[in-house]
Amino acid sequence: MYDQLRRARKRQMIIFLLVVVTLGGLLGRLYYWQIAQAHSGYNLAQLASQEHLQNQILNAPRGIIYDATGHILATNVIRDDVYIEPIQFSVDHPDSPQNALVSLILTLHRVLPQVSENTLTQDFALNQQAVLVATRIDPAQSQQLQSLQLPDVFLEPRTWRVYPAGTLAAQILGFVSSSTNQGVYGIESQYNALLAGKPGSFTAETDLNGNPLIVGASSEQAPVPGANISLTIDSAIQYMVQNDLDNAVKQLGAQGGSVTVINARTGAIVAMAGNPTFDPNQYGNYSGQTGCLGTEEVYFNPSLYCAYEPGSVMKAVTMAAALDQGLITPNTTFYDPGYIQFNDAPIVYNWNYQGYGMETMTQVLLHSANVGAAWVAHNILGAQRFYPYVAAFHLGQAYNIDGAEESGNYRTPSNSPQVWSPSDLTRQAFGQSIQVTPLQMAMVYQTIANGGLMMRPYIVASIDNNGQVTTTQPQVERRVISAKAARELSGMLVSAAFDGAPQSTIVPGYTVASKTGTATTQGISNTQTEASMAGFLPASSPQFVILVKLDRPAGSIFGITAAGPLWQTVAQQLMWYYHVPPDAGT
Amino acid sequence: MNNLNRVSGATNRTPLKPILAAKRRRQLYPFFFSLGPVPLTMISVLLIGLMAVLYLTQLGQAVTANQSIQNMRSEQAVLQRQNQDLVNTIANEQSPGYIAQQAKKLGLSPSQNVQIIVVKNLKPIVNDNQQIQP
Repeated sequence: MYDQLRRARKRQMIIFLLVVVTLGGLLGRLYYWQIAQAHSGYNLAQLASQEHLQNQILNAPRGIIYDATGHILATNVIRDDVYIEPIQFSVDHPDSPQNALVSLILTLHRVLPQVSENTLTQDFALNQQAVLVATRIDPAQSQQLQSLQLPDVFLEPRTWRVYPAGTLAAQILGFVSSSTNQGVYGIESQYNALLAGKPGSFTAETDLNGNPLIVGASSEQAPVPGANISLTIDSAIQYMVQNDLDNAVKQLGAQGGSVTVINARTGAIVAMAGNPTFDPNQYGNYSGQTGCLGTEEVYFNPSLYCAYEPGSVMKAVTMAAALDQGLITPNTTFYDPGYIQFNDAPIVYNWNYQGYGMETMTQVLLHSANVGAAWVAHNILGAQRFYPYVAAFHLGQAYNIDGAEESGNYRTPSNSPQVWSPSDLTRQAFGQSIQVTPLQMAMVYQTIANGGLMMRPYIVASIDNNGQVTTTQPQVERRVISAKAARELSGMLVSAAFDGAPQSTIVPGYTVASKTGTATTQGISNTQTEASMAGFLPASSPQFVILVKLDRPAGSIFGITAAGPLWQTVAQQLMWYYHVPPDAGT
Repeated sequence: MNNLNRVSGATNRTPLKPILAAKRRRQLYPFFFSLGPVPLTMISVLLIGLMAVLYLTQLGQAVTANQSIQNMRSEQAVLQRQNQDLVNTIANEQSPGYIAQQAKKLGLSPSQNVQIIVVKNLKPIVNDNQQIQP
């Protein structure tokens, strides 16, 4: 019995030791996976989850951009990218890969003729899991590939931003970069955060084919679609203006130009056309192209970014300052021998070196006499009474309606005490030695048209952020000049436009208040001009402000002859399109 | 072995007290009726089988529903894509450039010589309240 008991105890001990060793081994293994490997970043639980869990980011649809009449200017479409799987192909065809490869390449090339057979052969030779062979293929090609169900070829849907109207308002809209999916330039850039929305997420257990299972655990956070934006731009007017500008640039052999149309009462921008422009659907084709006399990329809106010396169009500001302070009236006279000398500034000549004798302030505008403007600025106003008005008219200050704009600049005794001289004052009076954007100058005329009240210019009419609609209300920026001064100046501009204009700039049936400008740049030939015309109509009840600018026109270099006919065409079309009642007998 | 049997004393066991006897009986026969081990096993298998059938039926329905949802999601994606394409097509065909192009194809062209009739002594219409959109 003693032996039996001893053997039994021995067996028990062996079993116990075996259990201990096994448990020790298991514990060691447990320590290895749970502690040692976990510290080195190897997560078994995560790996297991990856096998049967699907984590997907749900992209939010980018908001749509509409024009003032509800026409779509920017929307989205889904197109497929085509990928091949070279490694999987090798695994699937271990015995005779060449025949299968040739057959697959031929089929792919037949469906996607834009991808050459050589390229496909090279792509299949790559030792990669997936290779992109074609991007943004046509819906018909997608359908064809789906029906063929080619092995080791798959389609990946991707959302693309499209601009159905092509080049229309391209410089206002900007574009969305296909690589970063971020808005670049224009509205797309300025309102990118709103337009982009917020992406959602989807997590679910999947079956063998990767399809989510409803019986398993799943969670979904829906994406928040981007806000829809409505602009104040009218597509029809924008198209007409763009066409007219393109024709004028071509006809006059100009290097470019811009047209800005603003609602005189609200400050809403109705059209902003630029030349040269680009197609946002193929923005990559325009990289390296420049506008604004080669100083800016073609993607920039010249009405906002192309600062220039406005020339005689600026005389309205000089007159406004003097009229508002009661220092002159439209009938104030002075003697104009064709030049004027100053004690502290260089002599100023009229643009044609012609003297007009005794002339009224209205005639100064009619003759576009530099001498008269310099006389008012230097002898009547002086720097202290001139510059506050230049600032009040918002010149040299960006409105930033569409992102960070060009601000322009000019010298004043306060901002440039070391370099400013009375010569700046006399020249700024007729639009030299000052840089402004077309929008800033158009807003000067909007102020005059609106009885001295400057409105805040705006281009976004409303934002619909998933049902939460924010509408832009016209906003008064400030009163710049009195209603009386605005009325007097308006009358002077009407006289200048009516008496001084050739037939090609008259809009039949409507009174027009306008001023032309021909700016030259120091250091280059006087024939290299920037011809412009700014004004509003109908003068009795202003509806639209139009500013036309042509860069270096070759056919005709003056504002009245180069920009005038274009201004007249745009004005006439506006009146017809909006059925504005005529306010003049002839 | 005989020694061991003798030691265990199974045959000469002292009778249990009544309460203990009842406890033992309940342990052996938990139901009101007597159930042998074979019927108990068969009933258990049947019950487990029934539960499995019920569970698999539910699972099958869930899988079918899952498949149906997948199909609907695919269909929804296709419809969304088609909708976006249609929106794009409509926007394109409503754009002034497209309309002008089609008009040209139909033989229309912009008028180059518009004649304006000026009516003499017509009182100008001035409407200060007129607001033109936008």
